Parts: sequence; structure tokens; C-alpha cells
Amino acid sequence: MSKEENGFYQVFEVFSKKTDTSSLQHQFSLLAPNRDLAFIMAKENFFRREQVADIWVVKREDVKRMSQDERESMKQLNKDYRETKGYGYLKKKWRQYEQEQLTEKDIMGGGDK
Amino acid sequence: MTVASEHQLEQFMDRIDRGEKIEANDWMPDDYREALIRLISMHGISEIMGALPEKEWVPKAPTLHRKLAIMAKVQDEMGHGQLLLRVAEDLMEPLGKNRDDIMKDLFSGKLKFHNVFHMEAPTWGDAGIIAWLVDGAAIISQTMMLGTSYGPYGRALKRICAEEVFHAQHGESIIMALAEGTKEQRVLLQDSINSWWPSLLMFFGPKSKAETGHTNQDKNMRYKLRTKTNEQLRQEFLTKYVPRIWSLGLTIPDESLRFDEGDGEWKYAQPDWNEFKRIVTGHGPKSQERLSLRVRSYEMNNWVREALGKSALASGVGSHE
Amino acid sequence: MESIEYRNCLIELLYQLADDDFILAYRGSEWLGLAPHIEEDVAFSSISQDLMGHATLYYSLLEELGEGKADSLTHNRRPEKFRNAIILELPNGTGTYLVNPDFDWGFTVVRNYFYTLAKKIRLDSIKKESYEPLQHIVKKISVEMTYHLMHWETWFIQLMNSTPEARSRMETAIKLVLEDFEGVLSYGDLGDQIVTLSLIESEATLKQRFIAELQKKEPIDLSMKMKNGDGRNGTHTKHLTTSLAILSEVYQSIPATEW
Ligand SMILES: [Fe+2]
Ligand SMILES: [Fe+2]
Repeated sequence: MSKEENGFYQVFEVFSKKTDTSSLQHQFSLLAPNRDLAFIMAKENFFRREQVADIWVVKREDVKRMSQDERESMKQLNKDYRETKGYGYLKKKWRQYEQEQLTEKDIMGGGDK
Repeated sequence: MTVASEHQLEQFMDRIDRGEKIEANDWMPDDYREALIRLISMHGISEIMGALPEKEWVPKAPTLHRKLAIMAKVQDEMGHGQLLLRVAEDLMEPLGKNRDDIMKDLFSGKLKFHNVFHMEAPTWGDAGIIAWLVDGAAIISQTMMLGTSYGPYGRALKRICAEEVFHAQHGESIIMALAEGTKEQRVLLQDSINSWWPSLLMFFGPKSKAETGHTNQDKNMRYKLRTKTNEQLRQEFLTKYVPRIWSLGLTIPDESLRFDEGDGEWKYAQPDWNEFKRIVTGHGPKSQERLSLRVRSYEMNNWVREALGKSALASGVGSHE
Repeated sequence: MESIEYRNCLIELLYQLADDDFILAYRGSEWLGLAPHIEEDVAFSSISQDLMGHATLYYSLLEELGEGKADSLTHNRRPEKFRNAIILELPNGTGTYLVNPDFDWGFTVVRNYFYTLAKKIRLDSIKKESYEPLQHIVKKISVEMTYHLMHWETWFIQLMNSTPEARSRMETAIKLVLEDFEGVLSYGDLGDQIVTLSLIESEATLKQRFIAELQKKEPIDLSMKMKNGDGRNGTHTKHLTTSLAILSEVYQSIPATEW
């Protein structure tokens, strides 16, 4: 594989938003010699039928990705103390005081009413 | 590439058995990588070569609507090739290979493509039969692999299968119009079925080693790249399509074809597996013509790839090292 | 409809718009599977489909005006009745799309880029003042023009500014395209009436806009001709005849049937 041949075949990652309010999602990758051509080819390669509101292309080289080991380590992290899981006993406690525990909805949406 | 330690291999097989998805940069045994490259580059290049027989009918399609639909269909097939080749290319990257090498392997005959795309498609009836039955067969084998252990392949297949529904209905619509048309149109359709039938049976590959001397089925199943045998897929195809072909008052060129209630399977005349071997090794009726079309299109555009490839390097877009 | 004259001029203009898109869509569809790059093959095909879609909209308006069915207008009309500009019917290169194609990507990029720019200018003019049902169609089509223009402009600028070989190929292609490009900007023999009836602004106005736009991108000599004649008056090359034979091969094979 000569350098020239490789020059035409750069890998670009394509991300998109389905609607203005949705968050960015990875779609697929494509080969292009540069960012502008990657950009004009992205839409028709991956969104011929799907709704799309915004498209980003990023050169793969510019993305720092996790290795397999790094991904493994993600699974092992246990941060229960950051979650609501550890506080299940509160429900019973409040009952003793003849109160219902505030649900997530009550806490989050309480101000609306 | 790497010498696999016992431990790595064990861990890998555990992941496969747990149903985990393997990603491009994960450790994988060499023969898993090889099996994937073989399977996916063959699948990808078949999509690209498969665009050629149908492409013949793109400008000729008989109405504006048919012209648009078949153009979109063939475009999708090129798009499937794009998705699959990307997956294969990422697997080949550690071996120092890229898309150019895939193309060159195709040109040299090292990389094979599906038997059906070596065949002639001389009439509009063939355009209908390809979309209805060849795509129908492809859908069966592609959906079977949706759950493949290799994550990127599964994601590509998911995109592909979503589009195949349109292909199938586009094909059904063409053959329905022919079946309900004039006498000549029905003859056109019947002739197409007659000429495509053996190729359709061959599409799924031989039942066992006995027919062609080798098959990769076993390893692919162990690695959870596929979940069904060639014969299971062929039986599904027959169950799905034979009654529909018959219901249109069309015939299938196999007197012995019937469903055996006792065995619970279709009995059919075996296609000529020697012929199959000849076809996929580049000796089908259109093999050389289609290959040379592909070679030509590659060569006539060399200057474009060279121009932009060089300027990519010159402008530093290509190099971050 | 105001008068017979108005109706004739409108129909004439519609054929020009429709046939331009139809024939160029055909030339584009011949590239399917043969483009320099798989990703580009897919992108280009969308543009060809869009063009054929645009043509279909114009033909359906012609159908409403009593010109006959859209499928018959495209598959059963004599070459001399076609009103497309000649530059759009010229082949992509030598060979055919089936046998020994030797297609010229540079020519394709230049022809499509110049045409897309001229088309956009034409549509913008129709949007200002014209026959109302046509304006509706043109508004729909215009939505897709931004992408077409961006696509071809990117290819044009990149190939013009890459290697010396690409540059010289592009310059040859520009020369070739300009030799017949006047035909795209022509309205044919009915031109004066078409303009007087306010169906579109004058040829000279649109041509001036076209040149100004293009000069902004690339300072090239844009003197143009109609070397092969004016397609708007029904003059065509043998390439149109061959193309129409291919396009209507199946349709003509069994007359008066559903497909
Ligand atoms: Fe496909
Ligand atoms: Fe398909």
C-alpha cells in the first residue's frame, strides 16, 4: 500500500442528530481524501431515508478511543454511592412518619405545579 | 500477527459464549479475524458486483417510477458494499491493507463474489426476479447473521436489512405487474424464473463438504458468526417463495420439487455443484465481462484518486504523525 | 390560461426544464457503479435520482396541460421533439455504460457543476415571476439545489487545485463544456416571447449572473458557444437518439401495457 493510495482513503467517522433537540449519535464511517468530500458524501451514504437534522464528520485519527482494556475497566467501576439505589430503605422510614417518600418525579417536577 | 496465549484465547471464547460483541480493536484470534475478513469482504464485494447486472436495467426501466425505484435500489446495493467494505477494511488495517487491496484481490480472482452475480440478466423480467428472489435469498442469510458475534458487522447488517424490505417490495411490484400483464409479459417472467432457478438454489452454498470439498460453516458457527447451516437457509427460502411462485400460476423448472410432510422438508433436484465451482471461480457466463467492467471503471478513475490522494498528503490533512 | 401564445410559450419552457433534467439524470445514471469511489457513487446517484424526480414534476405539469402522459412524454417522443440543451446529451466519455466505458470524471464534474449553477439561477428567476403552478414546483425543487451545488462545487474546486494532471484534465473539460454551454442558457426561437410574457427573465440577465457567480470561484475565461446547435429548437446529435432508444427499450417492446 503506497502512501498515495492511503492518502485518498482516510477514515472519517460520521455523527448525526435526528432532530434539533436530539443528542449526537455515531452512525458509521466512510473513506474520503479530506473533510470536505467526507462531508458531502456523508448524507447520502447514511441518511437516504432516515430523518436527519445535523451531520458532523470527524477524522478518525483525531478521535481518542478506548482500548479493550480501558473498556473492561469501565465495567468494573462501582459507584453505588452516586446512585439512588442505596437509599431504598427511606421509603419504609417515611411510612413510619405517615409520609410518602418523594419520588424522582416529585423532586424533579415539583416546581411546575 | 500475534501469538495467542492460552489465556487470551480462553477469555475470547468466554466472551463469545456469553454473547458479547467483539469490536474492531479488541484482541481476537487470527483465524477469527481471517474468517471475518473472508466472509465480510466477499459479502461486500458481492454487493458491488451485484450492482452491475441490475444496473444494466436502470436506464431501460419502463416507466419514470420504475426508473427511479431501480436507481434507488442499485444505489442501496452500492451503499451496502460501502458499509461492508468499511467493516472489512478496519479488520484488515492491522495487516497493512486497505480498500485498494480488496479491489486488487477482486481483479486477480483471489476474492470471489456470489454465484448469482456471474449470471446474465438479459430481460426486464430478470430485473424483477433479481430484486424479488435474489434479494429474497440474501435477506434470509443476512437476517440470520444479524446476531453475529462481531459488533461492526452486526451494525452494518442492521442498516442493510432495513433497506432490503424496500428491495423485496420493489421486486414484488415488478413481477406482479408482469404476472398480471399480457401473455408476452408472463412469458418473460416465466423465462426468468426458469433461468434463475438453479442459481437461486446454489446461492446458499453446498449442503456439506461432500458437494464441493470444503465449507467454512462449522468454524463460523463456533465463532457465532452464523447460526444456521446452508441447508437450513435454503429450506427457509423454499418455504417462503415456492408457494408464492406457484400461486401466480408460474412453474418451477424442477419436476421433483415437493414438500415432504414426513421429513418436514423440501425435496428438490440438486443443482450442479461442479458448475457452481466453475461459476464462482470466474467461469460463469458474465464473470469476465463484469470483472473487466469493474477493472475499467477503476482504471479510468485512477487520476482522480491520485490527484486527491496526493493533495490530501500535501495539505497535511492525511498525516498527524 | 391567458392566451394560446402564453400556453405555447409555457409548454415550450416546461419541456426545456424537464428535458434538461431528464437527460442529465440519464447520463448520471450511466455512472452508477462506475464512479471513482464507492461513497461518491452513492452520493452521485442521489443527485441523478433528484434530477429525474424534478423532471417528473415538470412532466406532470405538462400532463395537466394536455401534453399526454408523463411516461409517454419520456418514452414515446421523437428526438426532434426534445428541448434539452445539447451539452447535456453528450456522452460521459467513450464506450457505453455496458461495454468498455471510458468515462471522463472531469467532464462530468464540470458539466454538472456548470449546469447546477445555471439551473439554480434559472429557478431563482422563475420564483420571482412566472406561471404560478410552475412556481410551486420550482420552490419544491429549489430545496434540493443547495446540496447539488455544494456537491459539485466541492469536486470542482478540489480537482482544479490538486495535481497538474488533474488541472489540465479539468481545463480540457471546461473547454469542452463551454463549447456547447450557451445552449443551456438559450430559450430557443420562442425566447423573446417567453421573456415578454414574464415566464422568466432574459437570457442575457441570467447569463450575466451565471458568469459572475462562477468568476467568484475560479477566474476562468467563460466565453461560450453552441457548437452543435440549439437543442431548444429540436436540433440534436445522434447521441440523443441512441440515449432515447435505450431509455425506451422496454417500454416500446410491448406497446400499451402496464409495467
Ligand atoms: Fe444488498
Ligand atoms: Fe438488496
